[in-house]
Amino acid sequence: MLRAAGRRFLRLGSEHRAPTVAVAARGYHERVVDHYDNPRNVGSFDKNDPSVGTGLVGAPACGDVMKLQIKVDDATGKIVDACFKTFGCGSAIASSSVATEWVKGKHMEEVLSIKNTEIAKHLSLPPVKLHCSMLAEDAIKAAVKDYEAKKAKLAAGNAETTQTVKVATA
Amino acid sequence: MVQGSFVTELRARESPLARTRALSRFASCCRCSPCSVAGRQFLENNCLNVFLIMRRSKNCSLFSLLRTSLKELVYESEAKRGLWLSASSLVHEDLHLHPRIPSDLLINTRSFSIPVKRFDCASNYGGPGHHDFTEFRVLNRFLCSSEAGSGELPKCWNCGGDAVSPGPFLACGLCGSVQPVDQSIDFFQIFGLERTYEIKDGNLEGKYKDWQKKLHPDLVHSKSEKEKMFAAEQSARVIDAYRTLSKPLLRAIYLLKLEDVHVDEEKTITDPDLLAEMMDIREAVEEANDSHALNQIQTQVEEKFEKWSRFFEQVFKMHDFDNAITATERMRYYDRALEEITKKL
Repeated sequence: MLRAAGRRFLRLGSEHRAPTVAVAARGYHERVVDHYDNPRNVGSFDKNDPSVGTGLVGAPACGDVMKLQIKVDDATGKIVDACFKTFGCGSAIASSSVATEWVKGKHMEEVLSIKNTEIAKHLSLPPVKLHCSMLAEDAIKAAVKDYEAKKAKLAAGNAETTQTVKVATA
Repeated sequence: MVQGSFVTELRARESPLARTRALSRFASCCRCSPCSVAGRQFLENNCLNVFLIMRRSKNCSLFSLLRTSLKELVYESEAKRGLWLSASSLVHEDLHLHPRIPSDLLINTRSFSIPVKRFDCASNYGGPGHHDFTEFRVLNRFLCSSEAGSGELPKCWNCGGDAVSPGPFLACGLCGSVQPVDQSIDFFQIFGLERTYEIKDGNLEGKYKDWQKKLHPDLVHSKSEKEKMFAAEQSARVIDAYRTLSKPLLRAIYLLKLEDVHVDEEKTITDPDLLAEMMDIREAVEEANDSHALNQIQTQVEEKFEKWSRFFEQVFKMHDFDNAITATERMRYYDRALEEITKKL
């Protein structure tokens, strides 16, 4: 038993001689760590604001929740601002952070073409964490869908009110 | 030994004698311990081919040699059993016609209970190649029995004794040898419990310690490599079983797995109510700064977990699996929240 402990100790020693290699191979990619340490675009918009679309998605396998909100310029259809709030692992947080960065300044149709594989590649996500990037992609789509639904409801509401006004005046 | 070339070699040989020789070399290679792992892997990947070749060769002693190697494989690999059964049907004809195979070979069907059940469902669909149930049983006998025995019980590989104790056959009652892992014995059977969600007075810890007293790898230091491997696998399985059964969420998921219910883990949830609720809870946990507030939230979440846990029990009993899956999803979310609270406390 002492021999085994001694061997283990020696093995530890040899690991110390090349620490950077071991850590880089197993740890999070530096981009993921960066997003975790310096979170950008964390926050919330007002859900009831008509120019805000909210995407709320969850992953059943790990119990993660991801909220991604976009602020859209009604006239041009461009996304002017985005923010997120994610409860989950480092990869999920980084994926949603990257997603908010990428959607800013783009058209709504354009952002629908953002693929989870691009996010995963950008962050060098290992295969086991690919579903986190999938979650981010779904969050973007959900946010856009929510905005469109709000717009449609508003338009329907406006149409109704103008009709009632017409009836009243007629 | 290059595994791939073996199959090509076997296939290439036309004369029965040459094939028999190649087969016996292969079989003995599988039994010798240094390459037994590789041999088993090879068997797994090529069992259908091996089977077909076995069928063509009418050599009885070769049959037995291969059968013993394959028996171990069958004990270990649940996934391959389905393949076994379908390949077995090819051998069936020859089996009955072969003069030298004793006709009173009896069964050990216990390890085949699951695939036989599946086959039973499959056979109701009919179609070509489906033999009826009794024929398959005969085949199973051929595959799993070691000699012409009279019992339905598995036998110890070391002393040949029958599995006498009422519990699952993980270690021999007579000589104490650890047996190979039988995947068909589920976790509930290991702890002698009914396959239900609710386990009262299970005394999981006591039974767990009792099993480890018999199966722990430290106890087989001086035994053969084979038994050391069995001990490592069996005790790992018991640890798995203990962990799964002691946590309600894992128990629920395991029960669904036993019922063959497939949960699509890749699908994203978009249920707004659940997600909004979880967002609120997680935000509250983040903002809470003193243990009193955290404990409050903890009690609330625990209540919700209990509610859904009871719901799971109800729907599972009624085999309402869709609702059962929803319940497990909810439970997982609450469980995750509780983990975060515990971390913070």
